[in-house]
Amino acid sequence: MIRIEHLSKKFGDLVVLKDINTEIKRGEIVSIIGPSGTGKSTLLRCLNLLDYPSGGSIYIDGVNILDKKADVAKIRQKMNMVFQSFNLFSHLSVMENLTIAPIRLRGMSKEAARTKALELLRLVGLAEKAENYPEELSGGQQQRVAIARCLAMEPEIILFDEPTSALDPTMVREVLSVIRRLAREGITMAIVTHEMDFARDVSNRVLYMDEGLIFEEGTPDEIFENPQKDKTRAFINRTLSFTWRILSPDYDLYAMNAEIEAFCEKQILPKKTRYNLLLLIEELLQIYAPYLGKMILDMTIAYSEKSRRLDLICESTGEKANPLDSHGLTDDLGFTIIKNLTESIDYQWHNGKNRLEFQVKNLSHEE
Amino acid sequence: MNLQTRIENNVTVLTVSGRLDTVTAPEYEKNIREMISGGNIKFVVDFEQLEYISSAGLRGLLVMAKLLNEKSGRMCLANVKGNVRSVFDMCGFTSVFTMKDSVSEALAVFV
Repeated sequence: MIRIEHLSKKFGDLVVLKDINTEIKRGEIVSIIGPSGTGKSTLLRCLNLLDYPSGGSIYIDGVNILDKKADVAKIRQKMNMVFQSFNLFSHLSVMENLTIAPIRLRGMSKEAARTKALELLRLVGLAEKAENYPEELSGGQQQRVAIARCLAMEPEIILFDEPTSALDPTMVREVLSVIRRLAREGITMAIVTHEMDFARDVSNRVLYMDEGLIFEEGTPDEIFENPQKDKTRAFINRTLSFTWRILSPDYDLYAMNAEIEAFCEKQILPKKTRYNLLLLIEELLQIYAPYLGKMILDMTIAYSEKSRRLDLICESTGEKANPLDSHGLTDDLGFTIIKNLTESIDYQWHNGKNRLEFQVKNLSHEE
Repeated sequence: MNLQTRIENNVTVLTVSGRLDTVTAPEYEKNIREMISGGNIKFVVDFEQLEYISSAGLRGLLVMAKLLNEKSGRMCLANVKGNVRSVFDMCGFTSVFTMKDSVSEALAVFV
């Protein structure tokens, strides 16, 4: 139904979409997830030409909509968009919001448009609000009206741009349940969302966007249960990280400790875990000490809010060698402490770097 | 790290506060060497106010024990608890050093 090839979008010097390639088939429900500012909404806005792409092609039923001869108004009628901020006409009643476009753009009779509008308002559970004005409705109700208004144009595909982001948590569910209902009816949908459980339940396919690209895509099971790329995994697990780079043997241990403590405090990690993390880092730095100054060492603390897993990742440049095997310490005290503080230790030669990954023992239930 | 000393019944009571780590362990060792070469060979090391110890600190204690052994001296640790105690446990140091729950109990070892 929609095929996107090498789509790019720049705003001045800012490249928002680098090279997007994907396809949305008829009847498919595609969720687009990813961190803020990675181009998800821009992709949707490019699809219906609210933002004009800088390059590439978008084919809808085989027609390249970026072709100068393309009938943009006709193409737009095939797809409709639901916005984060509802975008209802505040001076028109709910009924008028739903009937204005079908009457003016599709030449529908007033009577037929009203009948259709009532049917759609029943679908979203708001028939009794037909004569109300948007300001008399809650945010969740306004968004349901916006969905009904979108359906009134009988689009072949609906683009949802973060439809629940502007809503109170109590209203999110009512909007999501309407979208779930549409999904069951087989309407093609592309949904930009931060509601991970919803994306997992409702979609046939999930696109993870990052760095202006579709970084990874797959079925909900593939993306949520077994993501292949580090960035996808970090996003899915709601992993927060902090990296400290060490370039010289004269690094400032206490400045580093202060930042690590601040990070731990932000994640509300128990005091004992903070102590152990600082100890683990100090012991590792003693192991790395002979090489500091000859290489770059990045120490990253990654904490998953979802699983409460705490990892320490040490990436160092230089020749392939596990620093734990080749350390020059005179005793095993440091290594003994490291083993005691960790659940697992994994060494890999990754992207030309020595990567040591430690899963720090989870002490979150001790305090 | 801060070190404070007092003499009780001919025993040097050394109170260590703060952190005994990579940064402070060299200073600890330097002070210990000076005290031992100055004739102090009986020590109670009080960890009541010690907040943090790493393997660097443990090595400092091993150096101290070795220097005292050479001079037929002795040391006893007091108030090794909490996170500091955990590090001792991990490294099996609880069996390496004589440890007591208070300074007075540690002083009694020398009677």
